[in-house]
Amino acid sequence: MASNKNFLVGVFEDEDVLVNAVRIVRSKGVRIHEVFTPFPVHGLDEVLGYTRSRLPIAAFLFGLTGTSLALLMQYWMLGFDWPMIIGGKPHAALPPFIPVTFEFTVLLSALGMVATFLIVSDMKPYGKPRQFDVRSTDDKLVMAIDLDVNKTQNRTAITQLLRDAGASEVNEKVFA
Amino acid sequence: MLKANEESLGAAMIPSYDFSKANTIVSVGANFLCSWGATIENTKQYGQTREVGEGKNEMSRHYHFESILTLTGANADYRTPIKPSEEGAVVIQLYNLIANKAGRSIVSGGIEKPTLAKAADELWENRGKALVVAGSNDKAIQILVNGINDMLNSYGSTILPNLPVNYRMGNDEAMATFMNDVQANRIGSVIFYNCNPVYDHPMGAQLAESLKNISLSVATGFKEEETGTLCQFLAPDHHYLESWNDAEPRTNHFSLAQPTITPIFMTRAAQESFLVWSGEEQTNYFEFVKENWRSRFYQGGQFDFQTFWDKCLYDGVYEQTAQGGSVSFNGNVSEAASSIATNYKPGDLELVIYANGTVGNGSQANNPLLQELADPITKVVWDNYVTVSPKDAGDISFDESHTKLATITVNDKSIKLPIMVQPGQTPGTIGVALGYGRTKAGKVADGIGANAYPLVSMVNGSLSYVATGVKFQKHDDEDYQLAQTQTQNTYMGRKSVIQETTLQDFNNGTFEKEKFRPVVNTWKEKDHKIDPEKMTLWNNYEYKGHHWGMAIDLNTCTGCSACIVACNVENNVAVVGREEVINRREMQWLRIDRYYSSDANADDWTGAEKASENPDVVFQPMLCQHCNSAPCETVCPVAATTHSTEGLNQMAYNRCIGTRYCANNCPYKVRRFNWFKYHDNKQFATVNTSMNTDLGKMVLNPDVTVRSRGVMEKCTFCVQRIQSGKLSARKERRTLKDGEVVTACAAACTTGAILFGDMNDPESRIAKHLKVRPTYPDKPYVNDKDSENLRAYSVLEEINTRPNIFYLAKVRNRDEANV
Amino acid sequence: MQVTSAIRDPLITGGKTLKDVSHDVSRQVENKPTGLWYIGMAISLSLLAFGFYCVCVLLWEGIGVWGLNKTVGWAWDITNFVWWVGIGHAGTLISAILLLFRQRWRMSINRAAEAMTIFAVICAATFPMMHMGRLWLGFYWALPLPNTYGSLWVNFNSPLLWDVFAISTYFIVSLVFWYIGLIPDFATIRDRAYVQGADTRAAIYNALSFGWQGGAKTWMRYESVALILAGLSTPLVLSVHTIVSMDFATSVIPGWHTTIFPPYFVAGAIFSGFAMVLTLVLVTRKVFKLEDYITIYHIEMMNIIIIVTGSIVGIAYITELFIAWYSGVEYEGYAFFNRVQGPYAWAYWSMMTCNVISPQLFWIKKIRTSLVATFVLSIVVNIGMWFERFVIIVTSLHRDYLPSSWTMFHPTMYDIGEYLFTFGFFFTAFLLFAKFFPVVNMAEIKSILKATSSEGKHGTPREADKTRH
Repeated sequence: MASNKNFLVGVFEDEDVLVNAVRIVRSKGVRIHEVFTPFPVHGLDEVLGYTRSRLPIAAFLFGLTGTSLALLMQYWMLGFDWPMIIGGKPHAALPPFIPVTFEFTVLLSALGMVATFLIVSDMKPYGKPRQFDVRSTDDKLVMAIDLDVNKTQNRTAITQLLRDAGASEVNEKVFA
Repeated sequence: MLKANEESLGAAMIPSYDFSKANTIVSVGANFLCSWGATIENTKQYGQTREVGEGKNEMSRHYHFESILTLTGANADYRTPIKPSEEGAVVIQLYNLIANKAGRSIVSGGIEKPTLAKAADELWENRGKALVVAGSNDKAIQILVNGINDMLNSYGSTILPNLPVNYRMGNDEAMATFMNDVQANRIGSVIFYNCNPVYDHPMGAQLAESLKNISLSVATGFKEEETGTLCQFLAPDHHYLESWNDAEPRTNHFSLAQPTITPIFMTRAAQESFLVWSGEEQTNYFEFVKENWRSRFYQGGQFDFQTFWDKCLYDGVYEQTAQGGSVSFNGNVSEAASSIATNYKPGDLELVIYANGTVGNGSQANNPLLQELADPITKVVWDNYVTVSPKDAGDISFDESHTKLATITVNDKSIKLPIMVQPGQTPGTIGVALGYGRTKAGKVADGIGANAYPLVSMVNGSLSYVATGVKFQKHDDEDYQLAQTQTQNTYMGRKSVIQETTLQDFNNGTFEKEKFRPVVNTWKEKDHKIDPEKMTLWNNYEYKGHHWGMAIDLNTCTGCSACIVACNVENNVAVVGREEVINRREMQWLRIDRYYSSDANADDWTGAEKASENPDVVFQPMLCQHCNSAPCETVCPVAATTHSTEGLNQMAYNRCIGTRYCANNCPYKVRRFNWFKYHDNKQFATVNTSMNTDLGKMVLNPDVTVRSRGVMEKCTFCVQRIQSGKLSARKERRTLKDGEVVTACAAACTTGAILFGDMNDPESRIAKHLKVRPTYPDKPYVNDKDSENLRAYSVLEEINTRPNIFYLAKVRNRDEANV
Repeated sequence: MQVTSAIRDPLITGGKTLKDVSHDVSRQVENKPTGLWYIGMAISLSLLAFGFYCVCVLLWEGIGVWGLNKTVGWAWDITNFVWWVGIGHAGTLISAILLLFRQRWRMSINRAAEAMTIFAVICAATFPMMHMGRLWLGFYWALPLPNTYGSLWVNFNSPLLWDVFAISTYFIVSLVFWYIGLIPDFATIRDRAYVQGADTRAAIYNALSFGWQGGAKTWMRYESVALILAGLSTPLVLSVHTIVSMDFATSVIPGWHTTIFPPYFVAGAIFSGFAMVLTLVLVTRKVFKLEDYITIYHIEMMNIIIIVTGSIVGIAYITELFIAWYSGVEYEGYAFFNRVQGPYAWAYWSMMTCNVISPQLFWIKKIRTSLVATFVLSIVVNIGMWFERFVIIVTSLHRDYLPSSWTMFHPTMYDIGEYLFTFGFFFTAFLLFAKFFPVVNMAEIKSILKATSSEGKHGTPREADKTRH
């Protein structure tokens, strides 16, 4: 990773223009590194060609773990490890175990999924992120194009393409 | 009474009574279950006559005429409120009614009262099995009562003149003479032997004044009390548990007292002091007693003296054959009647001074257990008060025991007390208890209430605890709150709480037909109803070993509350004091619910809150029911309360985190929370003496933990006794015998109203008494058991908690239909 | 994809641009707090301090400093607990359920409402903590932790234990949900700080934002996470108050043992929660000048929810009375007779007036669009809901089965003090939140700005939607 990474950064003002621009840019064979927006733009993932997130599957699996752990825990603790007569009821029965099982399922599902999300998105409370344009969290929509990936394309041609697609400015960004 | 017997029977003695032989009992102001005569013996014998069941369908009928509602009156079948000045007239009336039947001449006077004629008829029918007693100290009244008993052939059957009792032998006249002599400086020296007349004699204040003038005054006693502090010398006596002693409580019945502990302080037995002061050579009181027994009782024979002595100690009693004593009545009834007519003039407002069932005459007032023991009737603790009938109470709502103060003045002596509104009290009568207003009793009792002894006067040669010319002034601007352990007086017609019937209904099958058995409708068809216990969702457990259970007979429970004290002592229950009782936080594991009847219908929920003017009373001991489907157990988040395999609802104090959920979910409200740290805490040092000083802690039961702040506690069925019983049986390689393990409450119960035992043992008394059978015949050891005793029921049966305590319904021996 | 009506009024007024949104919301964080904020903080902190004193006395002396007794083992403590939990529900409801129903009007208020949820749940949790006789043991003994006592586990049959799981799960999931929502906005503040040259602030908010950049892929996952969290929170929020209601419903006490409690409690929770959101939001929009973001339309929508839930609660009250009579159960009947006519009838009728009658005023459009009336009624509803819990807990306990134990409950200074403690905490936390966190979800507002703005450049929202496909 010794060499510098060069990017072209197209700045857009409007989400519809951006979505359109993504379509145009991609149709010209230019590969977009990533698009940064201050708010979620619907349809952007489709035009960028992203496949659906698999986080729901993670959530389901974590939830399933929670359900089984909670049920196992309760049956083992009250039914096998130390059975007690409580209110004349059976040592271990399903109905009173449902609330805890449900809560534990939700807890594990939520925490597991969020943890997975943070990990796969490389989000962490330390370190400085690579930012292409600080205004991308405020009012600008930003398209970053990795020049190293698009070696076959001409830099000025891409710049022009971006401008034609509606970018209000096109900047260069170099990361060490 | 002594004098009356001397004059009319020819012997200055007090006979023994045998209530157990009485079919008809009439009491005129004699609170014989609480303060009159040999109360414990009376209670036991009375209890025997109140037992009803299959095979015993008779019980005594008890008529009671009294002014304030007493414990005895509360147990009566027919109770008639009278004014204190009418006591003599009621006795005269009764005398005349019976004299008519007996063919004796009648005397003048008398007053018509409801149930009096009926009582006379039944007394006459039950001649030889009848008993009339009166509470008055007046010789004239007692002579008439003797006359009645004579006509009823009571002597020799219900009254035993050949067994005179040797206590309550005081002579009021002699004491009054002494008091006057002291005042007149005619006394040179005096020794007060373990007595306290400065406090408990009407002329105590004068005595206190004039004691200074006596050249030598000595008091003995194990405490410094009102009299002792005023004497020149105080000779500290052993506590009675530290000393040897002997006694003759009843003629020819001798008893020994043996110390249970070596003296804690530098004290000397008073008797030893007397030996020293009288210059005897032998000053060891133990040797003195022993010598006395050797010379008086030891007759040689096959035992040596030591064996004889040991046997007497072991037995606790030595009896000599009684000399047969029969008496004949020759009292002057007409003179007595005229004396009554002169001495008792009705007043607008009359006062009764009585000894209540808790602190009694006040000599034990410094015992916090007694102060916190609710009066069986009023349910007030830590206080003295004046009882007033609801009619006379005027605008006092008595809401949450909030009341006003009042000043009572008799013969220019007045005391100020809070007003207690008391149903059953005769209108125009007020009552004040003795035993309060102590000034030198100790940190517990000092300053509680006011002393009523100064209001007592001499009438006809004896102390009269009633007064007629009473001034009563209510102070509307002075608010006060009494501390009561129960503020709702009626049971709201709730049949699953209290079941009662009349003897007639019980015997003719009406009770069996109409007994309250909760049922629930099912979906199956219209009017298809089943017992709620058949609706259980779960399989029951089987208790293969013991299954502890309890039967509580509402009929033989007199409400005396001895069980509560026994429980407190056995289980180290904290005493919390007046303020905390006002906050409704008493810690007692066992309480006695006292319910009055109401005139309103059970569905008139507002009206049913109000007690009748002359209510029927029922006492219900209430403690942890050890439910087999215990609501408390289910809700504890940390499983601090669970069920044992012997049916006990167990409480693990160490595990408890104090959410109080269990107490909320207890339908019987028997769980008690440690709101504060009651031990080693200055805040409770004056009330909870047994947990706050090293000396006090000697009272604690070492087998039971003192609970810490923030945990829940409750009745354990004296699990420490159960465990120790099982252990000793195991050590001896045998099974536990029935009756070997008894809870403290059952042990203390005089009448046997509380019966504890193993319901799995078909030979146990409880199993036989309750006719226990398993609910599911295929499972003989199932936790769920039923009782086939007709009177048995579980409190709140319909919520299906399946308690291990069964109650036996109250039966009143009354002709009218059930009230 | 989005269903918006062209004829619907705009949700955000004042012709705001994306920049305006960032500015309007972030400036609260960036600028010095106002005098009003300091005054509010001073009041909150004094409440907190007094309350803290009361808590200390409680822990030092014992539960006896409260007014509870042998019959009434819970009163203000659990009343306050249920009340606060109920209030907490609105936040989750707004962000989760309304998200699932695609109600976009929630976007202006969900941040504040979720913050309210978090703080309310913390306040609520203090009561089951403080009400324990032995808090120093109970706080961890209530969890199924391995221990040195041998096989000593908790009782999974106890509704109170279910509460432990429900409340802690609810707190954790709500916190996560709220925080996930905050991440993009923290990034906005961070980047504005970079621009403004405030490096410390930038570093802090960078950490808070977990290095958020706002890439399309992350947004895609982010939206997926938000949707699933909403999906999980919805049954969760319903389960929490259901379980809280089971503390009572599974018991044997007449007035507690009621099968309608779960839905009735949930409706009541939403009812009180929305009232609390309104109270807070009305103040916040005024103080922070967010009138264009939280409009009369938002307030009206919330008032409509209050009518609906208030009416559900009213029906529940009447059903309870009917069943008490119809069941023919003596104790149940008496419990409700006692509520209506007994010594605590004043509490019952306060509850009826505040909860059933007062929200019906919102049928009148003038009232439901009036800020003053809404503010007053929102407070009235919360008073009513407090009384509801008080009525359920205290009037059921104080006269239950055995008349011998009947008694009254009188609160002490410490009962009140502990309640004030939570108020102190709640407002302190809310003021801190309002100062340091973006009170309106900027990213979400930005996403609806164009679609719903009155000056949308691309015509009606529907047309704008069409252009995307």
